[in-house]
Amino acid sequence: MLRLTEDRAKAWLRARGLPVPDGEPASSADAAARVASDMPGGAVVKALVPAGRRGKAGAVCVVAGADEARAAAGRMLGTTVNGHPVQRVYVEQRISIRSEYYLSFLLSGPQPEVLVSRSGGVDIEDAPASSGPMVRATIDPLRGLTSWDAMELWLRAGLSGAVVPPIGALTARLYEAFCAADALVLEINPLVVDEAGDLSLVGSMMGVDENAFFRHAPWAELARTEALPANPRERSVVIANRELPGGECQYVELDGDIGLLVGGGGAGLYQHDLLLELGGRPANHCVTPPTGSDNRKLKAVLSAILDNPKLRGLLIGFNFAQMARTDIRVRTLVELLDEKGARAAGLPVVIRLFGAGEPDSRAMVAGRANIHYVPRGTSLKDAARLIVRLAAEAGERSAA
Amino acid sequence: MSILIDGATRVVVQGITGAQARFDTEWCIRYGTRIVSGVTPGRGGETVHGVAVYDTMRRALAAHPADASVLYVPGAMVKSAVMEAIDAGIRLVLVTAEYVPLHDVVKIVAAARRAGVRLIGCNTNGVISPGRSKLGGVGGMDPGEIYVPGRIGVCSRSGGMTAEIGLALKQAGIGVSTSVAMGGDLVTGMSMAEYVTLFEDDPETDAVVVFGEPGTRNEQEVAELLGAGRIRKPLVALIAGAFQERYPKGMSFGHAAAMINRSDESASAKRRVLAEAGALVAEALEDIPDLLRRSPSRS
Repeated sequence: MLRLTEDRAKAWLRARGLPVPDGEPASSADAAARVASDMPGGAVVKALVPAGRRGKAGAVCVVAGADEARAAAGRMLGTTVNGHPVQRVYVEQRISIRSEYYLSFLLSGPQPEVLVSRSGGVDIEDAPASSGPMVRATIDPLRGLTSWDAMELWLRAGLSGAVVPPIGALTARLYEAFCAADALVLEINPLVVDEAGDLSLVGSMMGVDENAFFRHAPWAELARTEALPANPRERSVVIANRELPGGECQYVELDGDIGLLVGGGGAGLYQHDLLLELGGRPANHCVTPPTGSDNRKLKAVLSAILDNPKLRGLLIGFNFAQMARTDIRVRTLVELLDEKGARAAGLPVVIRLFGAGEPDSRAMVAGRANIHYVPRGTSLKDAARLIVRLAAEAGERSAA
Repeated sequence: MSILIDGATRVVVQGITGAQARFDTEWCIRYGTRIVSGVTPGRGGETVHGVAVYDTMRRALAAHPADASVLYVPGAMVKSAVMEAIDAGIRLVLVTAEYVPLHDVVKIVAAARRAGVRLIGCNTNGVISPGRSKLGGVGGMDPGEIYVPGRIGVCSRSGGMTAEIGLALKQAGIGVSTSVAMGGDLVTGMSMAEYVTLFEDDPETDAVVVFGEPGTRNEQEVAELLGAGRIRKPLVALIAGAFQERYPKGMSFGHAAAMINRSDESASAKRRVLAEAGALVAEALEDIPDLLRRSPSRS
């Protein structure tokens, strides 16, 4: 899920004609002051980070006029909020609030869920029980959410009177926006009735489904420019994943010393369990890209694994009856080991790879004492046991 | 008998002109699957491995009645292809694509349920009833090396692990009635509990093996069926991913769904509820044959 910053979530809602307060992002204190100077009723300056609980982190500030906006933006820019660097702020028209409600949509199972509550504006976990019930309902994905369904929810949450029809209609339109955005979460907190009696989406947080980015080119572009991890090996794989063709690849470094080039699904989970159970410690988690004629992504992942200074062994373990060509994987391994020279040359490697191209694969590593290509039919457990033993022996040798 | 597919199942391949579809279709035909037609819009009139290609599902089914459809269309086109298959009257749909948008998944799952259509996947490498038929790439070019006909039902969240289970069983001299990879995504067409129920009701299945992962309520639902006495055949469960509990919450490993957001969706919690409900929990693949042999039927 890609969590959008508030300016982008609100731009999406505004473009669909939904009532979002006027606001603009600013990347300098002066720019923030300029935006605020057009807001006679006062403004709110908020740090633009893809995280919730900004109020508690001091990243939301009500200001009167340009000078206060400049000062607030100056304080926020360059700091870190909930782990995210603040590079931009959002300057928004201040809304005078008559009442505040809570609304969210969530998709994490077979049916979308909607939550509404009469108490908005605070962290929903902290809402007092006296503010009325949190009403939760599932939505039939084929039927959608009608305005009368939504009115029913708000009535159950304790609302009554003239606000019910417009908030019901707005809720139904927000659900349409949630679906149209391929959002997995959309939280409106607070959903405000202002002094004029109009509804306004003051707090808006949205997380969207990366699998649907073919329908949302601007967000796909955003994901490509997201901050890179600090670890150089993780960074190189993120870059490869963005820039090279082919399926997804991932590399996450862990504390151990046994590198894992394994399938991304069940076998990856299972082998990780096995290593721990047998006393080994995995050096990484990875998602191996599908094997095709272009092996650059595979090379990026394997290179990251081999560059980890803690590495004392490598397990290449895949399920039986791989349709993918084994020789592409093994050739990539051999090339990289040779490229990386002395340190990689003696690294214990266990290969459990059965499938197309297997005779060629075995021939490629024949005569390399550090590479153990286990016999066809060897279990995942026996392969894991072997690499745990070899890595432990390598550790003892280097300690001696 | 078997579940889901048998030697009589007539199959249409959607997206049959793509590379993976051609490859799998060839090996399915060699295995004995009755592939009766293919569909690729704009390519009607061609043939693939002797199978006639049509532009629409309606035309394909009008020319060759079919029971099941296997989809090789990319994630972006899955929703429309599944809706077309349901509309044309197919009774079972298997979706191989991964990375299908979740909003599309919940719509096709709901539409299939409403129409009484069995939806396998998304993100599955297939289903095999050994010696009878297979849909998808399951078993590769030599399914007989892994799957022999027998009386054990297998349902797995991971396609690759169906092969490992099949192999572990075969090495112990045990065969399989049907093995199905249900898909590892957050939301799947059929749930693990539904597959297990089909095995329970299949007179040619004596016991069931399931492979589970962290995330979702699939395994808990199976435990609930066991607890309620709905499942009386022996059930062996192998649940991977306990290692995740050593790492920070919310970190994702592998399958999109295999992320623990709730403590009751961890591998350990699943093992515990399954064991309490009467399932035989395997520590490793190698334990499965022994557990099956030792288990008295609870019927």
